[in-house]
Amino acid sequence: MSDTTTTPALSGTKFFMNFPVTETSHSLEAYRARGGYQALEKVVRSMQPTEVTKEVSASGILGHGGAAFPAGRKWGVVKLGDNQPHYVCMNADEGEPGTFKDRWLLENVPHMCLEGLIIASFALEGRHAFIYIRGEFDLPYRRMAAAIEEAYAAGLLGENILGTGFSCDVVLYRGAGSYVCGEASAMLASLEGKKGWPRNRPPRLTVKGLYQRPTVVNNVETLANVPVIIGQGAAEFRKVGVAKSPGTQMISISGHIAKPGVYEVEYGYSWEKFIYEDCGGMQGGKALKCIIPGGVSTKILSADEIKGVTLDHLTAVAAGSQLGSGGMMAVAEGTCMVRLLQVIQRFYHHESCGQCTPCREGMGWMDRVINRIVRGEGRPDDIDRLYHISNANDGTTICSLGDSAGYAATAIMDHYREEFEYYIKNGRSMYDGCLTVEDPFAGAVAALRGATANATATAGAVA
Amino acid sequence: MSELVQRLIPEFERWKERYPAGFEGSLTIPCFRRIQEERGYVADDDVDALQAYLGIARTQLDEVLGFYTQFTRKPLGKTHLQVCHNVSCSLRGAANLVTYLSCKLGIQPGQTTPDGKFTLSTVECLASCGTAPMMMVNDAYHENLTPATVDALLAEHSA
Amino acid sequence: MSDRAPKTFEFFVDGVSMQAEDGQTVIQAARANGVDIPHFCWHPQLSVPGNCRICMVEIESDGGNWFDIACNMPVTEGMKVLTKSDVATKLRKETMQFITLNHPVDCGICNKSGECILQDYHYEHNGSKSMSIDAKTHATKFYPLSDRIMLDNERCIMCTLCVRFTHEVSGSKALAAVNRGDHALIRPAEDADFNHDVYSDNVIDLCPVGALLSRELLDHARVWYLKQTPSVCPGCERGCTVDLWHRKPEWKLNALDPSLNTRIDRVTPRENPDVNGLWVCNKARDLAKIFERPRATQAMRRGTAIPLETAVAEAAAMMAGAKQAVALVSSWASNEELAAFRAACGDALGSRITAWVKADHLPLPGETVEDHLLIKADKNPNRAGALAHFAALPAELPTAFPAATDVVLVWGEGCDSAMLPTGAKVIRLDSYASADNAQADLFIPISIQTERSGHYTNFAGTVSAFAACFPPVATVAHAEGLFSGGLFTGTGRTDLVPAGQPRRLAVLT
Repeated sequence: MSDTTTTPALSGTKFFMNFPVTETSHSLEAYRARGGYQALEKVVRSMQPTEVTKEVSASGILGHGGAAFPAGRKWGVVKLGDNQPHYVCMNADEGEPGTFKDRWLLENVPHMCLEGLIIASFALEGRHAFIYIRGEFDLPYRRMAAAIEEAYAAGLLGENILGTGFSCDVVLYRGAGSYVCGEASAMLASLEGKKGWPRNRPPRLTVKGLYQRPTVVNNVETLANVPVIIGQGAAEFRKVGVAKSPGTQMISISGHIAKPGVYEVEYGYSWEKFIYEDCGGMQGGKALKCIIPGGVSTKILSADEIKGVTLDHLTAVAAGSQLGSGGMMAVAEGTCMVRLLQVIQRFYHHESCGQCTPCREGMGWMDRVINRIVRGEGRPDDIDRLYHISNANDGTTICSLGDSAGYAATAIMDHYREEFEYYIKNGRSMYDGCLTVEDPFAGAVAALRGATANATATAGAVA
Repeated sequence: MSELVQRLIPEFERWKERYPAGFEGSLTIPCFRRIQEERGYVADDDVDALQAYLGIARTQLDEVLGFYTQFTRKPLGKTHLQVCHNVSCSLRGAANLVTYLSCKLGIQPGQTTPDGKFTLSTVECLASCGTAPMMMVNDAYHENLTPATVDALLAEHSA
Repeated sequence: MSDRAPKTFEFFVDGVSMQAEDGQTVIQAARANGVDIPHFCWHPQLSVPGNCRICMVEIESDGGNWFDIACNMPVTEGMKVLTKSDVATKLRKETMQFITLNHPVDCGICNKSGECILQDYHYEHNGSKSMSIDAKTHATKFYPLSDRIMLDNERCIMCTLCVRFTHEVSGSKALAAVNRGDHALIRPAEDADFNHDVYSDNVIDLCPVGALLSRELLDHARVWYLKQTPSVCPGCERGCTVDLWHRKPEWKLNALDPSLNTRIDRVTPRENPDVNGLWVCNKARDLAKIFERPRATQAMRRGTAIPLETAVAEAAAMMAGAKQAVALVSSWASNEELAAFRAACGDALGSRITAWVKADHLPLPGETVEDHLLIKADKNPNRAGALAHFAALPAELPTAFPAATDVVLVWGEGCDSAMLPTGAKVIRLDSYASADNAQADLFIPISIQTERSGHYTNFAGTVSAFAACFPPVATVAHAEGLFSGGLFTGTGRTDLVPAGQPRRLAVLT
């Protein structure tokens, strides 16, 4: 039914998209044929937990969930041998708008993700590990559930894994619809069977996480990299990508791009080459207006701002944004940025958990202001008002949902202030409220509307 | 007492085997999902029965049911159409997809057709951005939608 | 746990050097030094959710200043906390803008007005009109959270103090924060009845805004017309310290029902770490129902009204002439009254006079008898004080009365006429109307707790004081006065108005 199996060609090293996707390529048998679970064998037979963490640290891998925090440093915080349970949790609650790369990994390399999770549990002395998968994911859930059962049957999970003394159980936990549960502390609240309210730090989750026990939460892609790092060694891993961003990044690209999909990109790859060549540029040959680099929570960059920029964390930050979760969205010229911000803010308003004041009140407030502008009832000071609300959310909330909404809004207004001014002054969009380049339903809806209008006119004439 | 929950309890018990001890409270969300899978919604009786089974505060269950968008306390239409209207889908025509479905079904998002066949909802990003516009038809993703594929889906689920 | 004193170190608040203890948060350390950092959701005895964000402070640091919430930030050695800097001031102002965004600001018709933290903080930390020009969101008004409490969801700022109270203190787990975003609401558990939480009214005090209000006291009085008098709840032997709120004399109502001037408008806990901490149960909240029962205000000889002085004189004669008197002593009497009675009995106690401590009150049907938090089984405030002087009434009641008993003195409630030996003369001292009063050979009306001051000793031996709220009814006696210098030597009333003169206050009925 769902089709995320196309793997567009793109030069460079591939850790994940290096095999032809078939009906069975996600199975244990196929994964083993590609060398799967050899890293786990190596770990449980010949390594100490601290050696595993050391290797992951040495690889320099940055977390792939969005914040790009060094994974090895996160693992290193957990104190081993402290006579309490430790938990590892795979964050498969992929909900950042524009991001669908974890879905590809879960559907196509579930065993690779699982192997990473088991190795992480070994390194962190975890007896139980969790996969928190978003509730809407049906195929990824079924693929991962099947992979887990295969792994149990093959002695890769459960008691005495591969005949060693290491035991680990994995719980596949399905969410039920909440963006904020992708935030690690909210995820753990959800895993405890509660509503997903994020929690203040300190204490850090690596000190007090799930049920008050030290817990490491890692993104799917981060964990899927672990077998690669262990398998080929940190030194080899570091040869891929660039020094400050080693390895590859799974980028999901969507929006007005000609060839949307998931691409595995070696860090340091040319951003322009990626957009204009690999992804075929914009739909209908339109010019690129701007890019949302890594999910809506990252600041937009104009077409000019990605010129000469490479795809890695440091240069993305230098360019004024972040690679975030790799959820890239391309927006073509002619798109109304006011209405785009309306869509974005509707999302944040919908997903604000309601716990802390600035976000609970601010998200709805921004939503109302933008809706008013779109209705043609904007006031000249509304732009300042949106800046004010955004800034008042910056760093003042428990999790980063409120901040992110503010970044999204301020970045769009910084770049396209004139569109907002025009909309407010004239009561209408500079681009007729256009959001699409090609709209498959435009014709059908116009026809339906015409039919309704005709029917009404006829009815009126009869009356 | 909910007979459904009574019937499902042996299954819930099996789930516990992979959880650490003391994680009973964690079962709220999986149990509600399973209950809803069977009944189509979570009935008041189910909540009572689950509370008795899990032995946790009722407030936790109320909060969970109110917080997660996938849970419903009322029966929905036989087929639940959930249209993503987040950024990427909006850039690919989600607004008109919603309008198209509204016109075809004669209902607004959040409503159910009088014959109980369809419920239409708009939802936020379903991680199917590269194949927009898309919607969930019950549990399944349907992507790269066009009027023709939507018509076919509606016909299939009207039967 | 180590019993060594925790490590202390220096830190600074707005440049002032202070001492902090290891393990304290900034808000705790500042508070211990007398600096109250603004807070809505933080409470010294509840978990720290850090959701209101009003306690944001700036931290001065060589690596660049930063800010965070004071309630969840561990204080560290040498930390420089700024609460008055431009950044901190701006953060508080912005938070107040958010908090008042959808709050109706209907102070004019809100019962919390005058003691509302939101109101105070608005003046102190915001003081500006709303930056919003959009309509406020609407939520449920007048939601009956229980038979006792009304919830106004529009006024609620989602601090969750009430929710945490029911989960962490009272244990009823009756309240939840449901839904999300700006639709989030406080709601009672769907199956649970907040009525079953006998500590429910504490959430009214906890609520920093006017979202949770007593339905009983709704629109009774503006808080600035009221004053509070320290008192002790007589509802059980815990003896929780409370404040009784009643109308200020200078704001007395002349045109309306004068009884409004001597009514208890509300009862709130008076913080007391030795007895009740910060809480009281709902019985204390309902003390008006105990104190404002129909009073007995007329002295009587076998049901016939006689002047108080006459009744007292006859009682003195009756006691003096008794060969074997039995006194049933009130466990609602103050330590002062009990001591006076003990002194008045003198050597006769144990020979000519036998005294027993009785229970004036027993648990009422449906009342919580005893629980994990405050409520004790003995429903009398000063049994411990009474037992310091006299023995407890035997369980086998007849054994309390020697065969030759010719006079019985019944002090207080809890002993009806049928329980007394026939043939003995009965002197009854009571405050409340009862058919038994008229059956006594002599009946002397006495003052109630709100008309006098004194002390009770609770079950653990802790002595707490209560003060008079109102002048006593003119025709009743103070028990202490009746016994000062001897049994029934006088009424002890210095405030009795000579007959024929106009009375200042209406008589309670």
